[in-house]
Amino acid sequence: MSPAAILVRDLKKSYGSVAAVNGVDLEVPRGSFFGFLGPNGAGKSTTIRILTGLIPADSGYIEILGLPLAENEIEIKSRIGLVPDESLLFDRLTGAEFLEFVGRMYRLDRRTAIDRATGLLDLLELPNDRKIVGEYSKGMRKRVAMAAALIHHPDLFLMDEPFEGVDAVGARLMKDILIDQVRRGATVFLTSHVLEVVERLCDHIAIINHGAIVTAGTLEQLRSGGESLEDAFVRVVGAERQLERLDWL
Amino acid sequence: MIAAILRAQLLSMRLVAHRGAAFSLVTGLVWYGAWLFLAAFVEALAQRAGLPMLRTWIPAGLLAVCIYWQVVPILSASMGSALDLRKLLIYPAPHGKLFAVDVLLRLTTGFEMVLILAGGVTGLLRNPAIGGVRAAPRMLSLVFVYVLFNLLLASGLRSLLERLLSRRRLREVLVFLAVIAFTLPRLLLVTDVRIGGFQNLGAVIHFQALPWAAIGQALLGSSAPAAFAAVLCWTLAAGWFGRGQFERNLRYDSMAAQATPLSTEPRRARSWSERFFRFPSLFFPDPLAGIIEKELRSLARTPRFRMVFVMGFSFGVMVWLPLVLGRDAVRNPTLEHNFLVIVSVYALTLLGQVTYWNCFGFDRSAVQFYFAAPQPIVQTLLGKNIAALVFIYLEVLILIGVTVAIRMGVSFGGIVEVVLVVGICSLYMMAFGNISSVQYPRALTPERVSHGGASSRFQALVFILYPLALLPVFLAYLARYALASETAFLVVLALAAAIGGLMYWLGMESALKTIASGRERILADLSRGEGPVASS
Repeated sequence: MSPAAILVRDLKKSYGSVAAVNGVDLEVPRGSFFGFLGPNGAGKSTTIRILTGLIPADSGYIEILGLPLAENEIEIKSRIGLVPDESLLFDRLTGAEFLEFVGRMYRLDRRTAIDRATGLLDLLELPNDRKIVGEYSKGMRKRVAMAAALIHHPDLFLMDEPFEGVDAVGARLMKDILIDQVRRGATVFLTSHVLEVVERLCDHIAIINHGAIVTAGTLEQLRSGGESLEDAFVRVVGAERQLERLDWL
Repeated sequence: MIAAILRAQLLSMRLVAHRGAAFSLVTGLVWYGAWLFLAAFVEALAQRAGLPMLRTWIPAGLLAVCIYWQVVPILSASMGSALDLRKLLIYPAPHGKLFAVDVLLRLTTGFEMVLILAGGVTGLLRNPAIGGVRAAPRMLSLVFVYVLFNLLLASGLRSLLERLLSRRRLREVLVFLAVIAFTLPRLLLVTDVRIGGFQNLGAVIHFQALPWAAIGQALLGSSAPAAFAAVLCWTLAAGWFGRGQFERNLRYDSMAAQATPLSTEPRRARSWSERFFRFPSLFFPDPLAGIIEKELRSLARTPRFRMVFVMGFSFGVMVWLPLVLGRDAVRNPTLEHNFLVIVSVYALTLLGQVTYWNCFGFDRSAVQFYFAAPQPIVQTLLGKNIAALVFIYLEVLILIGVTVAIRMGVSFGGIVEVVLVVGICSLYMMAFGNISSVQYPRALTPERVSHGGASSRFQALVFILYPLALLPVFLAYLARYALASETAFLVVLALAAAIGGLMYWLGMESALKTIASGRERILADLSRGEGPVASS
């Protein structure tokens, strides 16, 4: 069995003539808090969507939690907690109903699903009333998505911008929960544009640009020159430029 | 400003249009070809008719045009395209210009009537008794004003209904009342109920102060100035109404109107609904039971679904009842005997728009949950079909109650028959529906009651699929009446059920293959937003 939580070799995915993911190699150690960074359109979300089985890759090899994805999709899905960039929430259910539904989809019996849903709503400070998810604020929706990712106690979390739109209190709460999960042996693989968050949480980082991994390693290795993560990121993706001005602006 | 809005809409539509261009073209040609044929028929009638006949029928025809334009979009719950004000209000667009676009968009719900009016005017111009080409400026300006009157009225009605139908609880009552208001006069006429107004229906149609009568008279050349004045007054009133309602819509907060009130529902009602939602768990294991339960909860809280559900047992009964009762209160025994079956199958077809034809529509981008969760996708389709079936049989149950209440004579055998027939028809419908749901998925907004079901290009195909899906059951009834044999009926029905089962299995296999190969496209279609003009 591979020691890696995620092992990706030469992953490729194109849309027409545009290569969204162009030969990605990635190894995410088990029990790590892994930050997956890149500029907009670099291929982060496409990679996560392939890892979760939402879209097929054109070619390449993927192993998750020691199991090849192609042959073990259902088994792997049952051990992943997913917080995607787009909403996975069913708007006409209440928070409690949605969490119970997710629990049952992940093979929990109904009683257990209800109990865990109640506990998670309490933990994430969400209302347990008749308000439907469609009426939730953006931050509340992210918290429900987080609760849904936790309900089946997964071994691996795949999270695409999990803190986007969440207030400081909610973000702190979600981070504490994730840190606790990593301490208990789970692996977290997340993307975020807020580099301060990644710097504070992650112990391993990979940066993707134009569909390929341009650098990967521990946080210390990336900041070896004493520079901040932001400086390292800008340097690695080659985005250093002078501010241009428009005459009319 | 108007050009920018329309350009943004065209650009928003280009991807969809590119993929389904040929299909849209064919279905558009069929639909508007049929109306063009009818317009040619109207032209021929108008050309040959004598003055007395025209005096009688033109106001009636213009009234029919008005009714079609105003009422049909409401009854079909498909109110055409309209500005999505939430996307446009942030820009400094003058309200008058937005209103002008909104009024022009009302053409989308009544373009068939423009064809009919064009046919009628052409016929009148070629009718030597009316005045020939010399009358063209008068006739064209009159028809233009009548079209404008209808556009303004339709705009106002749409705005008013959008607002009223977005209010919790009120929308179902309104739909029910609208259905009654539309169908009751016909029912009363057929059943020969003597109510003063209906005895003088002709007088109402020809009352000169009303727009259709005034226009009718002016088209024929009599009392043109007075008619013009009457129609102008009506058009100004429609404009005032339309603009007023449009302005009120601009200030209206539909989210606030739809917000869930906290703890106002009685405990007993909640427990009853909970029992209903939990009911499938008694028969099915998880995850299937979970999916069914989720569907039941979601659909029951979706305004668009609830409206169609109410229409299923109200509109269906009101439409078919006059046919059964017949003229002069002589009942049609064949229709009466099969009344429950007819209205139940009608309800099944109506519910298709919000359930099985586009079963992922209300899930929108959340549909990816089904692909990310560890249950096989076949369970999802199966769960959605079973949930639809639960609502279909709930509708049948209500229809049985209604049928008993109006003393149509329902036997136990009749109830068993309707349960079987609806089940068999559902097999065919859902076989086609599962394919359409993955081939032509379309994101729907649950809050918008006027939002259509399947994609527009699939709507036309549905009209071909309905007769196909109902044919096997129809053949069973044909066997019953041709051979006067219950055995023949049951044999053909059993055969229809067996073929239906096979069709359902084939449909499911085809849908699963499409999902396997086209998952990305389905997700993209269901995540796609609309342009500044939202269509339904």
